[in-house]
Amino acid sequence: MTAPAVTGASPRPSAALKRLTGAVTFLLPLVVLVIVWEAAVRITQVHPGVFPGVGAVMKAGAESIRDGSLWMHVGASMGRVMLGTVLAILVGVPLGVLMGVSPAVSTFLTPLFRFFSVLAGIAWIPIATLWFGYGFGAIIFVIFNAVFFVVAYNTLLGVSGIPITLRNAAASLGAGPWTMLREVLLPGALPNIVTGIRTGLGFAWRGLIAAEMIATNVGLGYMLFLARDFYRTELIVFGMVVIGILWLLIDRLILAPLERRTIERWGLVRS
Amino acid sequence: MIAAENPFARVWGAYLRLIARFPSVGQIVPFLPLIALWALVVELGVFPRAFFPGPVDVVQSFITLTWKGILPAYLEDSVVRLLVGAAVGIAVGIPLGLLVGLSSKAHKALWPILLFFQAIGDIAWLPLLIIWFGFGLQTMTFVIVYTVLFPVVLNTVLGVRSIPLELHRAGRSLGAPPWRIVTEIVVPGALPNIITGLRNGLGYGWRALIAAEMIVGTSGIGFLMFDSRRAGSVVEILLGMIVLGLLWYAVDALILAPLERATGQRWGLVAR
Amino acid sequence: MKSLSIRNLSKTYFDPYAGKHVTAVQAVSLDVPEGEFVCVVGPSGCGKTTILNMIAGFIPLSGGEIVVDGRSVSGPGPDRGVVFQSHALFPWKTVLENVAFGPKMRGVPLADREAIAREYLALAGLAHAADRYPNELSGGMQQRVGVARALANQPAVLLMDEPFASVDAQTRMTLQEELTRIWQERRPTIIFITHDVPEAVFLANRVVVLSKGRVLKEIDIDLPRPRVWDALIEDERFKTLSAQVLQLVRSA
Ligand SMILES: Nc1ncnc2c1ncn2[C@@H]1O[C@H](COP(=O)(O)OP(=O)(O)OP(=O)(O)O)[C@@H](O)[C@H]1O
Ligand SMILES: [Mg+2]
Repeated sequence: MTAPAVTGASPRPSAALKRLTGAVTFLLPLVVLVIVWEAAVRITQVHPGVFPGVGAVMKAGAESIRDGSLWMHVGASMGRVMLGTVLAILVGVPLGVLMGVSPAVSTFLTPLFRFFSVLAGIAWIPIATLWFGYGFGAIIFVIFNAVFFVVAYNTLLGVSGIPITLRNAAASLGAGPWTMLREVLLPGALPNIVTGIRTGLGFAWRGLIAAEMIATNVGLGYMLFLARDFYRTELIVFGMVVIGILWLLIDRLILAPLERRTIERWGLVRS
Repeated sequence: MIAAENPFARVWGAYLRLIARFPSVGQIVPFLPLIALWALVVELGVFPRAFFPGPVDVVQSFITLTWKGILPAYLEDSVVRLLVGAAVGIAVGIPLGLLVGLSSKAHKALWPILLFFQAIGDIAWLPLLIIWFGFGLQTMTFVIVYTVLFPVVLNTVLGVRSIPLELHRAGRSLGAPPWRIVTEIVVPGALPNIITGLRNGLGYGWRALIAAEMIVGTSGIGFLMFDSRRAGSVVEILLGMIVLGLLWYAVDALILAPLERATGQRWGLVAR
Repeated sequence: MKSLSIRNLSKTYFDPYAGKHVTAVQAVSLDVPEGEFVCVVGPSGCGKTTILNMIAGFIPLSGGEIVVDGRSVSGPGPDRGVVFQSHALFPWKTVLENVAFGPKMRGVPLADREAIAREYLALAGLAHAADRYPNELSGGMQQRVGVARALANQPAVLLMDEPFASVDAQTRMTLQEELTRIWQERRPTIIFITHDVPEAVFLANRVVVLSKGRVLKEIDIDLPRPRVWDALIEDERFKTLSAQVLQLVRSA
């Protein structure tokens, strides 16, 4: 059979097909990894309490889905991350803009925010659990400050990095403070803000898992730590895979494209 | 300008000139009002003192713990762990990154796996590591190496792939054999990215270390903080946090910043 | 015999967007004897860069043969020095280290290769900039270093792809005069690609006009040397030759 001559139809592979082959080439190595893992477990005959096989992990996963515990833990973790992050952005961005507008204020406050963004996240767990007790409040606090300081610091950098000529130009075109904020300051700082959110969330996600291991009785971190008490490595590995997939989804499907879009759109870096 | 008559503006101008000459002053002075505010809140007794100790208490505990030798010993433990982790992470991460960056076959095969393992994150490994190695040094070392490794690998790959084709071509038409292309062009070209990876890796690794010390540790700054938490001693927790912050400044000033100044900034590859 | 000879060279690309093969270079033959300065001109997209990249060995040939110094070419090599439009200096090496790179790859000891590098830097008028990094130089200086780096390797042929296209007009004229001076002093074999007709006529012994991947015409430039712009700009011969080449390029 000869291929039909190309007529009106586009000879290019369709976008959907391209995305599909992209997904397959991405997943293939991971599938191979799973096969290698299973083969290694069978060949070495390692004790399942030390290193579980694929089947055991899938069974543990299926069970945790059936009895609803997976959704409970995932729901708790995601809920905390979202709440803490949204709060941090709501407070951090306006504060960062306010601080960045005046060169004097930003010169003075930059070192402070740098210090606290260095500390952001895990280092706050001990004091947060003392102040708020074990549980929801402490975890939200850890996530909040992981995101807050990094976002506020990056917003501050972004706003104070907007060329003064741009602000003068807008002012001479008659922009009031509100227009200035909407049309110049926020768009100008947006790439920095998004980068800040991405970095902050990276810290927050780790802080979350650590805090859940220490300070709560629900959530993915707790699920892992509880499974450890019973030497249920298959449940631990399943939890790790869930954590990996969740973060890949958050980072690759939301944060990275967002960052790329804002940075590229304003031509701040090439390509 | 009218503002020049204003005494505040004059003081501010003097301050700006001062920090222009001594940048480190500008990094310290802003903390003074913050510490004063902190001391004031404590003196006013807004919160119970045991719950919210003041700067003086922290300094006192610093002196006591240093005098007893606990703080220096813990600090040394943490720093050594961090350095070992960084060294292994670099020694493995850079060659791996070069391989994945240079060979499109290796890239196809390994890139998704690298992304996935990075996404799992260091801390999620702790329960499994505790089962494997118990509570102790091996577990912590693994976590640190793991955390430093991925940012270094991923950034090395990015760096290798960002080297313009022209530079490869220039090297080859000047007679460089493949391995010289790697040492003379690929490694230096990727170096700014590698250092960025190291910066991110240490930033994450150092957080992971604290978490590991809290959860499995028997020494180190993270352990100090968590142990104090058990004892309900807020002042030592605050001390630990301040030490951690300063430790990062030291790593930045002594290792990362000089590296960046000597490489990418000098070559005009990254903005100063 | 350090000459270059191209026989029946052709190149087809697969264009993934059109879904078919396109011919960029078709049956090009060209002989460049030792010490000649040849300029290749032609409208955008006529295949100039493709030819140069094949000579340099950066891309495979679809047909034909390239013989340099009696040997058939496959892959890049130090017998063919390249000067790039985007200078392609190594940002992490000083100017001196850049120029010494070729000799270093040949295993020349440090002191000797630095001496070689200094010699060629002096030839390019850049002795004072030896210890600077490329990003600390102006565009014109960067191109001079690029020329010095290629020459320091003593290639049989020097290949230049629009090396002066991105410098300002004054600097470009200076660079052109310097290049003719260097050529007269050292007599390297040069293939110089440009779409700037006066530049081609100013520099070359022979101008090759390309059109749609084929050689349209070769024109000998018998202007006297040394060539300087002050003299040539009003020169009748120069004007007629330029007009002749320009007409060919525009009709191409
Ligand atoms: N990698 C490639 N894939 C497909 N087609 C290509 C590729 N490189 C070049 N071409 C095509 O080959 C033809 C010749 O390109 P080439 O770059 O040699 O032109 P040029 O004469 O150097 O043009 P210019 O003066 O604009 O630099 C063009 O039609 C171009 O589209
Ligand atoms: Mg071209």
